[in-house]
Amino acid sequence: MTGIALYAALAAFGVLTGAAAGLLGVGGGTLMVPFLTLAVGLSQHAAEATSLLVVLPTAVVASVVLHRRGIGDLPVALRFGAVGAVGGVAGALAALAIPGKALRLIFAVFLLVVSVRLVRDAIVSR
Amino acid sequence: MTALHRGARRLGLDPRLIAIGVGGGLLSGLLGVGGGIVMVPLLVLWAGYGQRDAHAVSLGAIIPISIASVLTYGVAGEVHPWEAVALAAGSIGGARVGAVALARLDERRLKLVFGLFLGAVAILMLVRR
Repeated sequence: MTGIALYAALAAFGVLTGAAAGLLGVGGGTLMVPFLTLAVGLSQHAAEATSLLVVLPTAVVASVVLHRRGIGDLPVALRFGAVGAVGGVAGALAALAIPGKALRLIFAVFLLVVSVRLVRDAIVSR
Repeated sequence: MTALHRGARRLGLDPRLIAIGVGGGLLSGLLGVGGGIVMVPLLVLWAGYGQRDAHAVSLGAIIPISIASVLTYGVAGEVHPWEAVALAAGSIGGARVGAVALARLDERRLKLVFGLFLGAVAILMLVRR
C-alpha cells in the first residue's frame, strides 16, 4: 500500500482501535503494533514507537469524554499513572536484560486466567 | 510503615494503586504491551474497582505513562510521524465513540467484552511467540 490508500487505511484502522481503546480502557497498542508490522510493513521498533504516539491523543480524548460524564477519577489516574511512568522506563530498560520469551509465556498465561475469571463472573452475575 | 506506604500517603493514593501503576508500567515496558491490559484486571480483581471505573482510570493513567514512553522511545527516531498522524486522526474520533459506549454499557457486558479481549490477546501472544 502506498500514498492516499495507505493513509486512508491507517485512518480507518485508527477509528477501530480508538473505539476499542475508549471502550476497553486500554491504549490500543496491542491492536496497532501487529497492524503496523504485518499490514504496513514497519519494523517492530518503529511500529511500537509510532503506536505510542497514537496512544497518547487517544487516551487524552477518551479521558476527557469520561471525565465530563463523571466516570472514573482523572486526578487520581494521572497521579498513579505518573508513578507507573517510572515503572515503564525501568521495564523498558529491563527488557534488554531479561529473556523475553519466558516472560511473554508467563504473561500470556496470566491474561488467559484473568480472561476466564472475568468471563465467568460476567456470566454468573446474570 | 514501609517505603511504599509512606510514598503512597505523600501522593494521597491507595498503596495498591501505586503498586498497580509501577507493576503495569514495568510489564508494559518489558513486554511492549499497553499498560491498560495489565492495569484494568488488577484494578478490578485487586483494588476492588468496578469494571467501568477501572477502564476510565486506566485510560487516565495511560496519559503520563505514554508521555514517558514516547519520550524514551520516540526520541530514538523510530517514530513514523505521518503514519502516526493518519492513525491518530481516526483514533481520536473512535475514542469518543468508545468512551461514550463505555459510559453506557452495563458492568456485566463490559466485563464480558474485556474478558474476551484479554483471552484473544493471550492466545495471540501464545501463538506468535
